[in-house]
Amino acid sequence: MPSPTSRPDDPAAALRTPSRPHSDAPTVLKIVIAGGFGAGKTTAVGAVSEITPLSTEEYLTEASTGVDSLEGVEAKQTTTVAFDFGRLSLPDAPVPLELFLFGTPGQDRFVDLWYDLSRGAVGAVVLIDTRRLETSFTPVSFFEDIGLPFVVAVNHFDGAHRYQPEQVRAALELPACVPVVTCDARNPSDVAGVLLTLVGHAENAPATPVHPAPNATLQDA
Amino acid sequence: MSARGDAAEDSTFVRTYTLTRGRTRPRHLLGLDTVLDAGPGRPGPGQAEECEEILALCREHRRSVTELAGRLGRPVTAVKILVSDLLDADALVVPVTAPYAASGTDADARPSLQMLAALSAGLKRKWPDAIAYLQAG
Ligand SMILES: Nc1nc2c(ncn2[C@@H]2O[C@H](COP(=O)(O)OP(=O)(O)OP(=O)(O)O)[C@@H](O)[C@H]2O)c(=O)[nH]1
Ligand SMILES: [Mg+2]
Repeated sequence: MPSPTSRPDDPAAALRTPSRPHSDAPTVLKIVIAGGFGAGKTTAVGAVSEITPLSTEEYLTEASTGVDSLEGVEAKQTTTVAFDFGRLSLPDAPVPLELFLFGTPGQDRFVDLWYDLSRGAVGAVVLIDTRRLETSFTPVSFFEDIGLPFVVAVNHFDGAHRYQPEQVRAALELPACVPVVTCDARNPSDVAGVLLTLVGHAENAPATPVHPAPNATLQDA
Repeated sequence: MSARGDAAEDSTFVRTYTLTRGRTRPRHLLGLDTVLDAGPGRPGPGQAEECEEILALCREHRRSVTELAGRLGRPVTAVKILVSDLLDADALVVPVTAPYAASGTDADARPSLQMLAALSAGLKRKWPDAIAYLQAG
């Protein structure tokens, strides 16, 4: 696993950006949707988003593996990663809300991005394609390690062998409290049901802040 | 992870550095989910064309940093640098919203139970057919 390296903050960025009162602005909440290649992340975001999911790019800096440190400065390598963004407004909620959805791939090299997205988030959905169950291990252990509430949603692809949620739970060694649900990522009510399940789970989870896992650092904190 | 420093990626870097005039770090602390609204100020002279695009988008609707980057087709870091310029010029502002965190001072805190309940109610109203699977315990 390539370990993410720290990105020193710009000291000039030490002060929080001043903000202006804006009484009718809805409160923003966010949910992370993670999953392996082709698991249906973009489809799920698009099913409930009011905008067509946007693909957004960010640079990530990671240590090059197998390169000796030179004067304590590790050789770094910058790669571009892409993630999805969608949003929906919930004006009929008791307080006006806007929900941001971030869809992110499940590989190790996205860990820095997951930290950014997890801070202050409601929780995460790990979308699973049972034909490639092994791609779910990394996001599952990441959200477990940082203590962010998450649910596992098994996406039912046509022709894929249908695993029972309990089989998926056993394969991923999930604790009993983590909900495992099935969904069709193309169906808005299904995806909304997964989000509701996550919110219900987050309401039951102890309100601990997101903790950095060992060996990982925040970027642009 | 093998190096992907191919020509396409190199040219992306060149375009990005041109856009930000060589700067690699934003002056303001902006999250991927920081929301921006159009402000009363005007951007200074000599700003990148993309600054006008950002302002036009934010006049229509409040936009997150991620949404702006996605719509401009530029990396998030580059957009944060431009947004910082616009914040300094008061052309953009960060609207204050009710804090989602349990404690307003702790940016890492999770949303309050009250916010979670509101989110649940809002989702149910929008998708009456949606079913939450409640786990025992
Ligand atoms: N039958 C079925 N097909 C689905 C479902 N979800 C997604 N698909 C299809 O599976 C394909 C991949 O879905 P995407 O949403 O692009 O998956 P992704 O996770 O965003 O993929 P990458 O971004 O490439 O990693 C698309 O053709 C979808 O239409 C589902 O629940 N059932
Ligand atoms: Mg996708």
